[in-house]
Amino acid sequence: MDETDLRLDGNAVAGMMAELFGFEMTVEWGGCAGCGAVNQLGALLVYAHGMGVVACCPDCGRNLFRIARGQGRWWLDLRGLAWLQLDEQARMSR
Amino acid sequence: SHIELAIERLDDGEVSPYLAGELRKGDQLELRGPIGGYFVWEPDQGGPLLLVAGGSGVAPLMAMVRQRAAAGSDVPARLLYSARTLEDVIFREELERLDAADDSLTVTYALTRAQPAGWAGYGRRIDAAMLEEVSWPTGERPLAYVCGPTRLVEAVAGDLVALGHDPSRVRTERFGPTGVP
Repeated sequence: MDETDLRLDGNAVAGMMAELFGFEMTVEWGGCAGCGAVNQLGALLVYAHGMGVVACCPDCGRNLFRIARGQGRWWLDLRGLAWLQLDEQARMSR
Repeated sequence: SHIELAIERLDDGEVSPYLAGELRKGDQLELRGPIGGYFVWEPDQGGPLLLVAGGSGVAPLMAMVRQRAAAGSDVPARLLYSARTLEDVIFREELERLDAADDSLTVTYALTRAQPAGWAGYGRRIDAAMLEEVSWPTGERPLAYVCGPTRLVEAVAGDLVALGHDPSRVRTERFGPTGVP
């Protein structure tokens, strides 16, 4: 198994993102801080490992965000995201 | 309500052997969802619709096929489904029934490992030539949904774009071991 086989996409972390953001995130749009490409989060390339996930820009491959979880906490590194657009219609209902 | 789970057993998997082998009628599962609006097709989005499935990747595409049938939609739809053998095809009876009953739905199989005697269909992995034969002409601007193992999904999506299809009308969902916390 190499990197290709371990690569998934934003759909694989839909549940995690919904839990963290309170929106259905795969339909939401984000801008890459590296190349400026605009994509829905469902299209992001995602690498998941034991401690968390890394999401990358499908256009330039740069890291967009990292999410890790442990010891009762979530860590979000969002430096690769220039912006995120959240549509009220995608807000998760309680 | 009735929810159907399609499980692919990964021999070294953490969850699938339990779901496919240990679960018994009456056992309870906790489910979260439905979640995920990106890899979704609704009849009012129109088409024509191209669905490309690799193995268990047919699961979300089957939901679209069923939704389309339930809505009585006549949006033209073509499903290209890659499986190792005919015995590995999931939802086979239902697909054959829907295909036979609906002129605007076509189901095509690509059997990659073994084919039944007298098989006149595809007997190889999905490639650009096959996609060109099966898919809609680019001028029809189909909505394409591709789901299955990462390698298949990325190869098919790349081939569709290379054939001239609009990348913004090609959606992908990669299946694989997740290890997501």
